[in-house]
Amino acid sequence: MTTTIGLVVNPAAGRDIRRLTGGASVSNNYAKRRTAGCVLAGLTLVDDVEVLVMPDNTGLANRIVDDAPDGIGVEFVEMTVTASGRDSRAAAAHFADHADAVVVLGGDGTTRDVAQTIGDVPVVSISTGTNNVVPTPVDGTVAGAAAALVGSGAVSAAETTTRHGTVEVDVVRSEETTVIRGLATVGVLDRPFVGTRAILDPSDIVGGVVSRSSPAEIGLSGIAGGLVTHRPDEPGGVGFRLARDGADRTDAPDATDAATDPATTVRAITVPGRLSTVDVAEHRVLDDGEDYAFEVDRGVISVDGEREHEVRNGTVRLRPVTDGPRLVDVEAVLERAADDGRFRLG
Amino acid sequence: MVVLDIETEDGQREALRRMLTIRAFDTKAADLFSDGELPGFVHLYVGEEAVGVGACSALESDDYITSTHRGHGHCIAKGLDPDLMMAELFGKANGYCNGKGGSMHIADVDAGMLGANGIVGAGPPLATGAALTSHLKGEDTVALAFFGDGAVAQGQVHEAINLAATWDLPAVFLVENNQYGEATPVEKQHNVQNLSETAEAYNIPGFTVDGMDITAVYEAVKEARKRAADGEGPTFIEAETYRYHGHFEGDQQPYRTEEDVAIWKDRDAIETFKRRLVDAGTITEDEFDEMKAEIDQQIEDAVGKAKDAAYPDPSEAYEDMFNAAVPEISDFSSGMRADGGEDR
Repeated sequence: MTTTIGLVVNPAAGRDIRRLTGGASVSNNYAKRRTAGCVLAGLTLVDDVEVLVMPDNTGLANRIVDDAPDGIGVEFVEMTVTASGRDSRAAAAHFADHADAVVVLGGDGTTRDVAQTIGDVPVVSISTGTNNVVPTPVDGTVAGAAAALVGSGAVSAAETTTRHGTVEVDVVRSEETTVIRGLATVGVLDRPFVGTRAILDPSDIVGGVVSRSSPAEIGLSGIAGGLVTHRPDEPGGVGFRLARDGADRTDAPDATDAATDPATTVRAITVPGRLSTVDVAEHRVLDDGEDYAFEVDRGVISVDGEREHEVRNGTVRLRPVTDGPRLVDVEAVLERAADDGRFRLG
Repeated sequence: MVVLDIETEDGQREALRRMLTIRAFDTKAADLFSDGELPGFVHLYVGEEAVGVGACSALESDDYITSTHRGHGHCIAKGLDPDLMMAELFGKANGYCNGKGGSMHIADVDAGMLGANGIVGAGPPLATGAALTSHLKGEDTVALAFFGDGAVAQGQVHEAINLAATWDLPAVFLVENNQYGEATPVEKQHNVQNLSETAEAYNIPGFTVDGMDITAVYEAVKEARKRAADGEGPTFIEAETYRYHGHFEGDQQPYRTEEDVAIWKDRDAIETFKRRLVDAGTITEDEFDEMKAEIDQQIEDAVGKAKDAAYPDPSEAYEDMFNAAVPEISDFSSGMRADGGEDR
């Protein structure tokens, strides 16, 4: 029986303003193309594999298909290309019905877009974005092999995937409610507009809710991670509110006239290249579905590290929920396959 | 102090006004050209307004820009007078180049607009030169070059960026990737998927922004200008945008479909920015309609004034071309004046 693998390669990932304002690494599309080629090579670990590739308008997907190794069927998903996050969502919606596993090359934003529509299909997420929380910088060949093993059923998906949490947001203004969904983090920022999307200045951070936290992560989950560790597959999450306008006391050492006295002060890596001192007024471990709210006169909602939604005079209600994507533990898949003798030829 | 502070409501309304002015100006230019009223050729900026206005708003008033053959939007964004621009399009004596430049050569050095340019890729070397001047004179000004995706493959653009990068000059290189170099889709012109990737060859920061979002372009240029002014060298910004009209007026556009255009119009920079301002209560629908009607009238008036204005005297045909006196031209002009000129 043919194993169908979906492939999403975001040509825009890793190209934002953080190449100028922060220490973010460069991820060029030649590297993505090479990584995608490695994924295809890794998929040949199992027999009879076909790959469905998300098209794009940059020529990157064309090159990936052209470079595909012999013996593997590669086709494009039939869809309209919009050169936006809608493409990843549309491709994932197709994969939800037609793929046995999906490989994503991108950042947290790309993985979140895929998560919106992918349903229960296992996802292998490879980092080609910026200071990512969810995707990992794993070799493409290894990731492809893991996707093939899970997709073909050679290794049990139930035993080697974890359900990642998400953060659901209601932005309430007058009688209108807008619903937004984040994967790892959703923040409230004191900025007037979406702009270049990246969180450029930690001092803009007002607070947020995360579905995972660790001091080893960068951004909101790193701030929360300085207070409490919350694993990605644990129900619930962490909500926090800063004591003053902004997360970076190093920028304003005299800012002792805080709006609220800090209950806790933590050190956190807020953006690449920036170790911040953060005064936290309040933090709370949240149960699954428990609301954590902010009143916002003027601000922006950030989702997985990117400014996404402008808010004026609204209430922002955030809650962690446990309905995220099934993420493949690449190492666990390969170790399980090895335990089953799949790498022994004699 | 930036030209327009788009973080304020006043700045946002003014930015919207400038985008609307560009659209009204170029939409009118299209009508005039199709009616045979404009001499020469016109290349229109409709669809790309957020790039020009976002970028010029983030500069200081005495900073320099260089432009392209598609320069009307850059001129208006830099604060040039639509009356004098329209006069230039009509070839009238009161135009920015005394009627001798036309659509593709509008310049106003006093305003920091170093010129539209009919040669693809000619702007970046001028910007590097302006940045070098600023550097040598110890001034605080920054030079920003607008250029298109087609220009990225031109040798002189490479030379300009390389020199500015090597000497840490106060320049910003802003490529307006409108998806087509004349009739050729960008992916058939370049071997990189994001044009900002080319920055890596110069060891300078390069990144891509949504050119249909004025706030993104504004913020990007503001950060790049800061880096340039701080003596850290140039930045390469790619703004992804789209031109709604053909490469030139009259272009049959066999290289794209109506559906291709519709995808980008769905993200129209003016409509989406207006919607955001209305949602935020910064402007009402009625105020927007009033603003638009006022601008449309302003452009109609500019056309009327341009039509009524005088052509340059034929005796001046060879003037304004060289910095130093050229005897043969002086002789020609004197002779023409002695003959009383020619009837037009």
